[in-house]
Amino acid sequence: LSILLNKKTRVLVQGITGRVGRAQTQWMLDYGTNIVAGVTPGRGGEEVEAIPVYNTVAEAVAKQAAEASVFFVPAPLVKEAAFDTIEAGIQLIVIVTEHIPVHDVMELRSYAQNRPVRILGPTSPGIITPGEAKMGIMPGNMFSPGRIGVISRSGTLSYEISIDLTAAGFGQSTTVGMGADPVAFTSMTELLELFEDDSDTDLIVIVGEVGGTQEENAAEFISRGMTKPVVAYIAGQNAPEGKRMGHAGAIIQGDKGTPQSKIAALQQAGVPMAKNPLEVVELVHRYL
Amino acid sequence: MRLFEFEGIKLFRQEGIPVPDYAIAENPQEARQKAEAMGLPVVVKAQVLMGGRGLAGGVQTAEYPDQVEEVCRSMLGSSIKGLPVSRAMIAKKVNVVREFYAGITLDTYNGTPVAILSSAGGVSIEEIARTHPEKVVSRQVSITDGLLLSEAEQMARQVGLVSDGLSRVASTLHTLYNVFRKYDALIAEINPLVQTSQGDYLALDAKVEIDDSSLFRHPELNTLLEERTPNLLEREGRQIGVTYVDLDGDIGIIASGAGLGMATMDVISQRLRPANFLETGGAITEELLYKVMHLVLQKKGLKALFINLYGGINPIHEGAKGIARYIQEYKVGIPIVAKALGNRQEETWEILEEAGVKVVTEVATEKGIEELIRLLEAES
Repeated sequence: LSILLNKKTRVLVQGITGRVGRAQTQWMLDYGTNIVAGVTPGRGGEEVEAIPVYNTVAEAVAKQAAEASVFFVPAPLVKEAAFDTIEAGIQLIVIVTEHIPVHDVMELRSYAQNRPVRILGPTSPGIITPGEAKMGIMPGNMFSPGRIGVISRSGTLSYEISIDLTAAGFGQSTTVGMGADPVAFTSMTELLELFEDDSDTDLIVIVGEVGGTQEENAAEFISRGMTKPVVAYIAGQNAPEGKRMGHAGAIIQGDKGTPQSKIAALQQAGVPMAKNPLEVVELVHRYL
Repeated sequence: MRLFEFEGIKLFRQEGIPVPDYAIAENPQEARQKAEAMGLPVVVKAQVLMGGRGLAGGVQTAEYPDQVEEVCRSMLGSSIKGLPVSRAMIAKKVNVVREFYAGITLDTYNGTPVAILSSAGGVSIEEIARTHPEKVVSRQVSITDGLLLSEAEQMARQVGLVSDGLSRVASTLHTLYNVFRKYDALIAEINPLVQTSQGDYLALDAKVEIDDSSLFRHPELNTLLEERTPNLLEREGRQIGVTYVDLDGDIGIIASGAGLGMATMDVISQRLRPANFLETGGAITEELLYKVMHLVLQKKGLKALFINLYGGINPIHEGAKGIARYIQEYKVGIPIVAKALGNRQEETWEILEEAGVKVVTEVATEKGIEELIRLLEAES
């Protein structure tokens, strides 16, 4: 199996009629994702790739029993749209959209906290369970089925590491992009917990980067609650202080968010650290 | 986007946080006139987007009009930590009895605002927390309920305030939270918040950073974003919609994705020195890559360029056309190595090779950098 997503998951695409939503829907369908509905307010009754489009999420849930949703919704509209999605009872939301205001993220996160929903992102490349389904923008051909769980704060870097792993014979159970905004909806620790409990994952690869304290908190969980091996790479070991490195959250401010603090915390938790992406494969070899 | 002190002070005053009389001057004569109108003595403060200016001579008291001019003559046009000083804030000097710290920031991990209050102010809050943890109280704030006045009062009590002082400091903290929310701030900080000998409680400084992603709903703040990027190459990056960070090496980098860009920097740094970090974002087009080439190749002394792309939203050969067109038009002579994977990659490789780019078809960035090193060694 896998975490969060499989070939049966009934997926909804929000923002399906936009240029990006349309193209990505086609690629997700090609990969085998079970897309059952799309939503764009005001465009109900249309079809995209033979998928019915509804005006509201509630309608898509009622008519097509959608249970997970991937967002290609413009940043200023994400907050209100996601409130509706949660209200309609969707259990998994993947937010691909970049540049969502942090205050909106905090409001949504707080709203979602005591409700039965998990949100990935913002700025998530998506989630892929190779050979089964993908929700997001990652190219499907870069992943292959297997028993390694990958948690990444970065999109394209997770592609590269997944291809490196695949080339060495290590497929992935699920690759999850958690995004690299200052505030994430789902923490690295929560994703580690899911992989720890997944009987089809043997080892977890963390692809972290400078900024924030996700890796430090994950390290604490690893020493306390993980039995499965974890290996990690932290991008940005040469990032200058005070400069945002492309992601809103990727910034070193004073002694916060430094690669040194992340590497030290993870090492202390017994996690072998790769100095560059390819070394991840060597470290995985040690265990498997 | 970090606000200048005077912009933050203006926001504070507008929203009801008491501040001293102040004015802005761009030349010594203007400073003198404004100081005289306000009444001396005044404090002259260099307006730079950088902490620690006090130690660098960026904050000075002036007792007489001549002194205001003199201070401004040396301050305006100088630079502090590499940033040019083009404006000074003239603030009425007040007699300080006590200093406090008040701030609202983000607990990014838990995704909530945090209110912080301390009975020690003037130095950085990290330092206060280290040396006098007992003088600092902080509290996670529910984003839905906001910071209640009663909660702010409780915090003021915890740092030892009573009666009038308690209610005034609590009210300032409460209003500061509202500023933080209203303007989508990442941080809103008053350091120091002072009690004067006349019994007023004033914000003597303002550190406010606004979330760039929220600027669409703050048109009044959106105008000066580019102006705040002193590095011209970084500014050009902003204009074309990519992230460019200027570094001090000589190997240019173009990468599609922040994590990939940082990893590329890491690998290059093991043997060579990166000249920049550049992240294109996901929507690569011919036009964007053409502009990106123009940006990265402007840097003086560039020895080679490494391009590391994954197709995402668009097929990757579009971007390759932009790269090739630039190389042909500008007859670029330095070695260029490219690794480009994604939809229509074979077509992409053909376009790049025809333009004289060394294409690496392997996946690992490390292999691409090895190729770059081979090319550089063959040249020398």
